[in-house]
Amino acid sequence: MIARLLNRTQTRRELRSPAWFADYSLALAAIAIACLGVAMNYAATWRSLSFEGGDPWTVARRQAIFVGIGIVVMVVAAVVDYRVLRFYSTPAYLIILGALAALLRWAPEIRNARSWFTLPFFGFQVQPSEFAKLVVIVSLAAFVANHEGYLRFDTLFNAGLLLVVPMALIYLQPDLGTMLVFVAVAMGMLLVAGAQLRHIFVITLAGVLALVLVFSIDALQGPRLLSETQRNRLTAFLDQEFEPLEASYNLRQSQIAIGAGGIWGQGWKQGTQTNLDLVPEQHNDFIFTALGEEFGLVGGALLLVLYAYMTVRIWQIARVASDPFGRLLAVGILSMLLFQVFQNIGMTIGIMPITGIPLPLMSHGGSGTITAFAAVGIVISVGARRYAL
Amino acid sequence: MAFIGIVMIGLFGALFTRLWYLQVLETEQFTVAAESNQVRIIITPPTRGRILDRHGVVLADNVRTGVVTIDQSSYTEPVAEAVFAELADLLDIPVVQLRQGLDDQRTHPLAPKVVATGLDEDGLLRVAERSIPGVEAKWDWVRVYPQNEVGAHIVGYVGAMSERQHRELIDDGYLPYERVGRAGIEGLFEAELHGEPGRTKLEVDRQDRVQRILADVPPQPGQDIVLSIDVELQAAVESYLRQGLIAARKTVSEDSGFFYPALTGAAVVVDVRNGDVLAMASHPTYDPNWMVEGLSLAEYQSVFENPYAPGALNNLAVQGTYSPGSVFKPVTALAGLEAGLISPRAAYHDVGYYRIPEARGCTGRCTFFNADRAALGTLDLSGALTRSSDAYFYKVSDDLYWVDGPEQWAIQDMARALGFDSPTGVQLPFEKTGRVPDGDVKKTLFELSPEAYNPYNEPPRWFPGDNINTGIGQGLVAVTPLQLANAYATLANGGTRFSPNVVEEVVSREAETFGEPVLTFEPRVLDTVEFPAGSAVVREGLSNVTNSRLRGTAAKAFEGYDHAGYPVSGKTGTAQAQGLNAVLRRKKEDTAVFVAWAPTHDPRYAVAVVMEEAGYGGEAAAPVARRIIEAVRAYEQRWPEPQIAFVPPQPECPEVPEALRGDPAFLGYVPEGCPWGVQLPRANTPSDADGDGIPDVDQIGGGS
Repeated sequence: MIARLLNRTQTRRELRSPAWFADYSLALAAIAIACLGVAMNYAATWRSLSFEGGDPWTVARRQAIFVGIGIVVMVVAAVVDYRVLRFYSTPAYLIILGALAALLRWAPEIRNARSWFTLPFFGFQVQPSEFAKLVVIVSLAAFVANHEGYLRFDTLFNAGLLLVVPMALIYLQPDLGTMLVFVAVAMGMLLVAGAQLRHIFVITLAGVLALVLVFSIDALQGPRLLSETQRNRLTAFLDQEFEPLEASYNLRQSQIAIGAGGIWGQGWKQGTQTNLDLVPEQHNDFIFTALGEEFGLVGGALLLVLYAYMTVRIWQIARVASDPFGRLLAVGILSMLLFQVFQNIGMTIGIMPITGIPLPLMSHGGSGTITAFAAVGIVISVGARRYAL
Repeated sequence: MAFIGIVMIGLFGALFTRLWYLQVLETEQFTVAAESNQVRIIITPPTRGRILDRHGVVLADNVRTGVVTIDQSSYTEPVAEAVFAELADLLDIPVVQLRQGLDDQRTHPLAPKVVATGLDEDGLLRVAERSIPGVEAKWDWVRVYPQNEVGAHIVGYVGAMSERQHRELIDDGYLPYERVGRAGIEGLFEAELHGEPGRTKLEVDRQDRVQRILADVPPQPGQDIVLSIDVELQAAVESYLRQGLIAARKTVSEDSGFFYPALTGAAVVVDVRNGDVLAMASHPTYDPNWMVEGLSLAEYQSVFENPYAPGALNNLAVQGTYSPGSVFKPVTALAGLEAGLISPRAAYHDVGYYRIPEARGCTGRCTFFNADRAALGTLDLSGALTRSSDAYFYKVSDDLYWVDGPEQWAIQDMARALGFDSPTGVQLPFEKTGRVPDGDVKKTLFELSPEAYNPYNEPPRWFPGDNINTGIGQGLVAVTPLQLANAYATLANGGTRFSPNVVEEVVSREAETFGEPVLTFEPRVLDTVEFPAGSAVVREGLSNVTNSRLRGTAAKAFEGYDHAGYPVSGKTGTAQAQGLNAVLRRKKEDTAVFVAWAPTHDPRYAVAVVMEEAGYGGEAAAPVARRIIEAVRAYEQRWPEPQIAFVPPQPECPEVPEALRGDPAFLGYVPEGCPWGVQLPRANTPSDADGDGIPDVDQIGGGS
């Protein structure tokens, strides 16, 4: 009976609307994480906002608006056939390059980095590097899809060029974290696209060598290739006893917050580390510490399960995508999500160095939230059109 | 694709494992860290309790003083120079003197240093209104000892914390710069005197901004300590002891031909009825005020490492151990009586020496001479004590040695019953126990330190000579002055041995219980000694020591004394001291000792005087003791025994129902003086001492 039903759907699946095949659970998981994110944005900021006499909902409300916009963007991206993105990839790539270059010239310096434009009408800040991640995924997918199956070294080299230009612009902001996301995305996509393992090995080796070189030039008082903060953060990660600097303060405080949460957590709005503003940047990069302290292992594990569910679904969509472009899109987004989640949560619990990467769908910020929803929408679009002609 | 799947599982697995580690396995550590992260505790030091004498004279107090502190950590040298110049100008203190404060090694290198103290309000305001960065002018409490060196060894002193105290006390809420008790009562009763510091618990955020006050416990002031000392008597005793030592230094020793060094000494006055210590002097002494702010090394050396005033910090009354000499003879006498070897009235012919009978098979030294080899003639026990016959007690000690049975150690047993060889239990630190030697003690000492106790490598057996030496308080016998006074007090009061009290009570200064004693030291009976029949003869012998007609050894010192009004029983002692004088590098002179009680037949006070290297007990110590006893008599007249106050009998009062209270018809049913009954004029009001309701003035006017 079931086999017959399945058989019937299979015979007619090309004729069915993509909405029939869309993965709604993926969208629901994303929305659930985003709602948890709004709640944790509130928990991380209400105390200090009300202490300063402001409205405790200021930050959380902004994030809720971003989530609303993001859901709309996700729906639009899911409805639109992902294949049209191929045609817009080149202009989008050029525009984003222009925006990244313009940042370096005109953007104000906020927190030691030129990463944000301030929109005059809304008072919002826009972070082009967040959108750049998605645009580069699309462009890389469009470029590599033509060569799927076997990537020659020169193709790989060209793909590398495609990556290196925006990476360099982001490095100059400087924003080391986002740059590393590009590396992760490229690795995932190129591997799936059929790059030779030895080629990837060579490139990885070159990258590591470059990093070591940068770090040692810096250590030898050469030209400053790493900013003070970046160097301290890396050192703090490598040497846990490297005490008096801000970086290891962050690490220590976030570990205290999460550790103090225990199994059940201290309850929403009850975390002392969170309320007393002891963990810096807590509604941004360190949002996971608020969850860990107030909802404990249970809350943290729930979030991990939601992320794992999302990555598994995206992985399945990548496997069944109807064309190489769709598969590469899904793999790129999967790599981005996976790397950001692992890097962000990992740094709060002390298994990764501290870098400024937001937790997708949780951290406060319009650009990141909308990009993440758009990415999920694109993946849903890929999944929904897996039988498309 | 499969590769990416594996990576996914690995990464999520790693995250979850680490979360499990932090939130389940290590959660307690982080909970504690989170707790301490958000709480700041501000400690307010309490005011230290005072130390008072038995009549309320203050011996240790706190005064408010203005201090100027400098936090130099933020200064560069030119800035520091300018700041010091300005301060020197403001306070009229030379820069050099201000800078000395910075050299203070006793506080934390980064802590603010005190550069000027003793400022008045004007001085503080002058500094404060300039608001120089890093300079603070504030009020502080400083310990003062208004009586200066009087009772210094009892009161002790406060000073900066030692390294060890620092470690232990910081946890109890002490601040690093607080002064803590370092000696005497200040040290022993540190916990009571210090009080409970106030603690304000604040919740703070990352910028140390106060979010709210979690708890605010005000400081509890320290408790007052009331001593049993009388300050005036104490001052007199200290002064007489010092004068006695100075007088001894002007006397030439017949043994050596030099002046007596007479550097150190101690004197104690004890109430024989309850063990109260009324005065306790130790020479050389010091002024505890010196110690509060600390002395420079040069000052310290000149005071405390002066070879002519050795050990000024030691309270020799409890920390000095001496050979008692002849003052030990009453113990031997009582032991002889106890063992039945002495007939108190039997005559003994003192020929100037005692020879151990040949039949006892003496080896080694067999003949023991009197002091100065004087033959005192025919004596009984009383006379032997009065004239301090050595030969009489040589014989008693030798006879006791040859007894086969427990009585062999009768001297040692009697000495221990009188409190020698054990701490008296007075509330003072570092009390010595002294020593009463017997066979085991000798053996132990010989094994422990042969070069000190057995330089000629003698067999460690207990010889007759050892017992004979012990019997006259020589050899290995060692006692403290307080033990001597306490033993004579026990002999005087008929056998009740008290543990002397130097502290009467600890008094609360907290608001609710202000002035109420927290702890009262009642007389503590350590032991009751059953004296043998014939002990009256021992007391008779001691009562004649000051008698010139009976040629008592202290008769000369008590010439012209009011024997009828305030008779004294006592005993002189002249003890040979072992070893060399550390400064003069020659044999030590004799220790002069005098122990007494007064009045003879109604004993109230026991006095012990010990003066090291000061000559004969009768010549050096007895005059000091005489003046002390005269001061005690004056003290008794100054503070007559407290009369028991008249307490009018209290009627038994019934419960009065509320409805009937104040009802005039009911008044007659309630006994007089009860609430809600007829109110009589209160008895014992100043105008009506007898409480009969008629003012006394009229009575006096009408009656006489």
